[in-house]
Amino acid sequence: MTVVMAAIVLFALTFVFATLLGVAKEKLRVDEDPRIGEVNEALPAANCGGCGYAGCADFAKAVVEQKAPCNGCPVGGSEVAEKIAEILGVEVVETAPFKAIIRCGARTCDKLGVVEYDGVESCVEANVVGVTQGCSYGCLGYGDCCDACDFDALHMVEGKPVVDYDACTGCGACVKACPRDLVELVPFKQDRMLVVACANREPTKAVKEVCKVGCIGCKLCQRFAGEVFTVDNNVASINYESYGGEETEEIKKVLDKCPAEVLLYFGKPDPEDVANLEEAEAPAGVS
Amino acid sequence: MEFIAILLSVVLVNNLVFQGFLGICPFLGVSRKVDMAFGMGCAVTFVITMAGAITWIIMHLILHPIAGNMFGDKLALNFLQYVAFIMVIASMVQLVEMYLKKFFPPLYTSLGVFLPLITTNCAILGACLYIYMKPETQSFLNALTYAFGGGIGFMIAIVIMAGIREHLLFSDVPKPFRGAGITLLVAGILALAFTGFTGIGK
Repeated sequence: MTVVMAAIVLFALTFVFATLLGVAKEKLRVDEDPRIGEVNEALPAANCGGCGYAGCADFAKAVVEQKAPCNGCPVGGSEVAEKIAEILGVEVVETAPFKAIIRCGARTCDKLGVVEYDGVESCVEANVVGVTQGCSYGCLGYGDCCDACDFDALHMVEGKPVVDYDACTGCGACVKACPRDLVELVPFKQDRMLVVACANREPTKAVKEVCKVGCIGCKLCQRFAGEVFTVDNNVASINYESYGGEETEEIKKVLDKCPAEVLLYFGKPDPEDVANLEEAEAPAGVS
Repeated sequence: MEFIAILLSVVLVNNLVFQGFLGICPFLGVSRKVDMAFGMGCAVTFVITMAGAITWIIMHLILHPIAGNMFGDKLALNFLQYVAFIMVIASMVQLVEMYLKKFFPPLYTSLGVFLPLITTNCAILGACLYIYMKPETQSFLNALTYAFGGGIGFMIAIVIMAGIREHLLFSDVPKPFRGAGITLLVAGILALAFTGFTGIGK
């Protein structure tokens, strides 16, 4: 009898509250664009914040409200952009994926004036100390960028960070992590892109004192290929809007003439180099 | 006069957080910023007041008279109070959630998961059960005052805590105490300070 009564009382109460909530749901309904949910489904759900919004849901809302572009998700790339464009019914313009490059190519053995440093093994801390190496612009080599990478795309090799371009999604976490602003996101129009791997703004003599591979600001590159290269503050930079990744005659000439070893190719390794490397590493035939 | 005594008692002397150690989870979880803590306090106050009133009605007008008369034993269906109270609280939280989502979306997003978690805030269930146990809160208006005071007490506690924690951000805390350690220490010292109110009211 008690059980039956308890059941009746509870059922009655449940019914009352369910009705109340049902009415409230209708009265307090928030009209949400159904496309927001669809766009959110299409996103990679990494919530990395690479797009500049607080997360995938936030970005989805911004896209539907036309505050963010369809191709604003750096992780999803063109595939996701197409899906979003389909949902919104717009055309997407093909763009090159942005990936990270490092504007310092000095290995530990190329750096001059390196002093012993016993402090915390982090670039941010070492940057505050300021005198761990001669160059005050170059990579400190403690790998803050590698720690920041969620996609395991950055590794320290011989004292400098090397990007794994198959894994890099261009989320920009490393850009924020570098205390010396050496990491940049550039559009990879080809598999391999030329990079000025130096950010030292000192004049020639000062650069030579701190690094074997620094840009000395001689402006030779600007003279041979002025459309692509500009030299400002004693350091060359590449204009990635006009540079499409092709190795034109001018760029070949620049590569030939550049007196410092600062022009490096970033991206997937050259097939020729891979072949050479494999040959060199292959054990000599047993004789 | 009676209302003031009940209010003072539950807000200062028998504060649910500091004296009852109820609702510690949101007290520590949502006390990072004062405005967020205030929003949380308002939501809890609303839920606790509504839940207090409705559970009083359920106990005194439904469970006791109807079920009690049927069995001749007033406490026959007493075991139902937990289930019924939780249902009331959950429904009230749903209401608050819909209301906030519609009218205060920024607060809704900043409270995040802690908003639905008010359902399991033991301060609310605790207050509803206390109302039923205490002799001075047997009349409806007294019960309502007690529930409202419980919410205000929670709000005062969480806002004071958030104010202290905003200042803690800039202070040089010894490394082992950083984070949860110093927060719990502060909570303990606050609880100790609130024992100073013992003797006011009832």
